Amino acid sequence: MAVETLLFVLMSGVLLGGLYALMATGLAVVWTTLGVFNFAHGTFVALGAYIAWQATQAMTGGLGLILAAFLSMIVMFGVGFALHYVLIKPFERNFNLVLLAVITTLAAASIIENGILLTWGPRDKQITPPLTGKIELMGAAINIYDFVILAISLVALLALALFLSKTATGRAMRAAAQNREAAELMGFDVPRLYAMAIGISAATAALAGVFVGSLRFISPTFGSDPLMKSLVVVILGGVARFTSPIYAAFIVGIAEAFSGYFLGLYWAPAVLFAMMIAVLLIKPEGLFGHRSKTL
Amino acid sequence: MTAPLLELRNLAGGYPPVPIFRGIDLTMAAGESIGLFGPNGHGKTTLLKTIAGLIDPWDGDILFDGKQLNTPGRMRARTSRNLNYDLFRRRRIHTAEVVEAGLIYVMQGNLLFPEMTVEEVLAIAPQAAGKRPGTAEMRRMVDGLFPRLRERWQSKIRYLSGGERQMVSIAVGLLAMPRLLILDEPTLGLAPKLRLELAAAIARIRESGVPLIIVDQNIEFLTGLVDRLFLFDHGSITREIAAGSMPSHEEVMTMMFGEGH
Repeated sequence: MAVETLLFVLMSGVLLGGLYALMATGLAVVWTTLGVFNFAHGTFVALGAYIAWQATQAMTGGLGLILAAFLSMIVMFGVGFALHYVLIKPFERNFNLVLLAVITTLAAASIIENGILLTWGPRDKQITPPLTGKIELMGAAINIYDFVILAISLVALLALALFLSKTATGRAMRAAAQNREAAELMGFDVPRLYAMAIGISAATAALAGVFVGSLRFISPTFGSDPLMKSLVVVILGGVARFTSPIYAAFIVGIAEAFSGYFLGLYWAPAVLFAMMIAVLLIKPEGLFGHRSKTL
Repeated sequence: MTAPLLELRNLAGGYPPVPIFRGIDLTMAAGESIGLFGPNGHGKTTLLKTIAGLIDPWDGDILFDGKQLNTPGRMRARTSRNLNYDLFRRRRIHTAEVVEAGLIYVMQGNLLFPEMTVEEVLAIAPQAAGKRPGTAEMRRMVDGLFPRLRERWQSKIRYLSGGERQMVSIAVGLLAMPRLLILDEPTLGLAPKLRLELAAAIARIRESGVPLIIVDQNIEFLTGLVDRLFLFDHGSITREIAAGSMPSHEEVMTMMFGEGH
């Protein structure tokens, strides 16, 4: 086994990890803030990718893709923000909220998926990657664009972490997540903060969608794989800290790359789910968690 | 005569379908502080949560400084179990408007935000209530009232003791620039030393001109702080006692439960 092969597999795993971190953190933000699981998160990734693709049809080149990514994130923030008032807020005083949110977000996922199918058709599309060069790293040839994606993903996560811990709005969101009644008594508009949490989550999903869409093909149903992987990541890492799903994302990404290479692509999901089941059995609160859910 | 600060008229409420309190009539003059005393589980906290806008009142009026805070009239009972009434039914009182008006409720045994530091919580407190003038002076006053909090500035709320948490809760309430501060059992479950420290702080808040509604199980604690005392029993106010004739704990127990309680 050549060292460069191992390095190549490791790098592709790290890249996957960066993308999963982006998707899973969005899911974790909603889960910790609203206490509901957003099954439409995968279709947010898909819709974000399609919006960016549509925008790149008008604006080509590297700058075009950056603008398209920003546009897609802004639109998806609005979509996420609005969906809170449609999917979750009408049921927030129902004691079955968690179950109802499963149903409403699944319904939204189905509607968005079919909306994409109606709008853009069933044929696969690809966002043209803006960079094609490779660099040699200890004998392994690695795409420069992969590094760029990893760097932007990490910067985006850092920006989100700083937003949540340093800005007034971010702190208010954490406050609303940790104690809704107390936040209301301080005069915060809690439903709006919740809507912003979903909006931010949708925007990070859109960014992930742009990256995935420029690495692979996008199709109307391609949201289900990111959703599944994010779910595995969130369960594996837990949500005790902002960084818990990020560490878990890299573990999942690297595990997927290695099992995909050595056991074959068909076995990679099985390995991930086996890991998830093992964690659920041994440490149900996640590898990096204790019994609490916070931001 | 100036308008009363807080006026409750025939207020009723509870957690549907369970009624908790009814027929509450209460008028607080400007500058006055009152106490609420009654056994556990008789609806004091539910009443206060209703006034604070966390729970919809069923009937009656809540007037603060002459302004009606709740939707007047009786709340209609839900008649079908199969429709999502929450979709159509509007809230009858909004916490944000209550806070905006300056009526601030400090919850009982409040856990606040367990994963945030004292500094973070106190930083967002004034912003929440829509920055009002005098926040800087209030910050200085809070620092003077609770010097202990400065020592725990970077600690997460979950690592604070019950008394320190209560101090943060009251500080958050004060930073909202209250025109009326409601303290729900502020000394509940505290060590005697902390209880004294907190009582001194509450007395100073009262002296600084912030009217208070205090709920407590300790008559002696209330006596020095309030102008009038209301006894609360089985979901309604059963007796009103003026400051001059504050009874001892024993006397109150006799009033509420009869001889040889």
